[in-house]
Amino acid sequence: MNVQFKKGVLELCVLVLLDKQDRYGYELVQRISDRIAISEGSVYPLLRRLTKDGYFTTYLKESTEGPSRKYYKLTDEGRRYLDELLQEWETFTNGVNQLIEEGVNRE
Amino acid sequence: MNKKEFMDNLNATLGKLPVEERNDILQDFEEHFTFGLEEGKTEAQIVESLGSPNHIAKELVATYHVDQVEGSITAGNILRAVWAVIGLGFFNLVIVLGPFIALVAIVVSGWAVAVSFIASPLLVLVNMTIALDHFVLFDLFFSLLLAGLGLLIAIGMFYVTKVLMNAFVRYLTYNVNLVKGGMKNA
Repeated sequence: MNVQFKKGVLELCVLVLLDKQDRYGYELVQRISDRIAISEGSVYPLLRRLTKDGYFTTYLKESTEGPSRKYYKLTDEGRRYLDELLQEWETFTNGVNQLIEEGVNRE
Repeated sequence: MNKKEFMDNLNATLGKLPVEERNDILQDFEEHFTFGLEEGKTEAQIVESLGSPNHIAKELVATYHVDQVEGSITAGNILRAVWAVIGLGFFNLVIVLGPFIALVAIVVSGWAVAVSFIASPLLVLVNMTIALDHFVLFDLFFSLLLAGLGLLIAIGMFYVTKVLMNAFVRYLTYNVNLVKGGMKNA
């Protein structure tokens, strides 16, 4: 799949994953790469950018085993942004799906 | 590539970023390796799925510099940001460098016109000293008129420069978002 396209979708995936609960970086990366083939490293620049834009806040949480984990939490602004993206995503996919259906029917 | 090579490579490309920023980024990847190893993956496997450290770092550097320009517009900041965004790929070379050169050309030529107009009475004076008998009142008045015009152009250019620079910074930001995706631009 086209890299540019995938990156756009990646942003949506990260926001969706954080909607219900806070997660740490590695967890986010694994959740996404379980479903979509991505360069896992590209998630971290994305997380930094969205944090800088004020869509996430981060906090460190000690864990009983292993190092402390950096958790990401969606802010109110981030949630609004997610809603916006979801709407765009729906309009976009509906449009593409319709085009595909029409194209396939004619053949 | 093993973990050390990956981290060294990442660190080297991040070179220009401030230390705290760099440490923070390295920490994220350090964490990633720790959890990956805990899950029983090998360093090579983790590196493989992370992708090119060079590319990851370039993306981080570009974001950082564009953020800096948004904070304060200075010539140095803009140049660094342009350079970093161009570094992201050939696509950006074309769509960033082109407008940038055009914009610089407009600003430079505008200022050149303003400065030379303002300086024109001086040239008349120089002319007078060189050829003492050759003093034409028309030259003097015309040059004074040009000087006035030059001042107006200079004032105009001051605002034009400001507006153009702001517009360009917005364009750069848009570019970084485009390269990184962002459904807004899809």
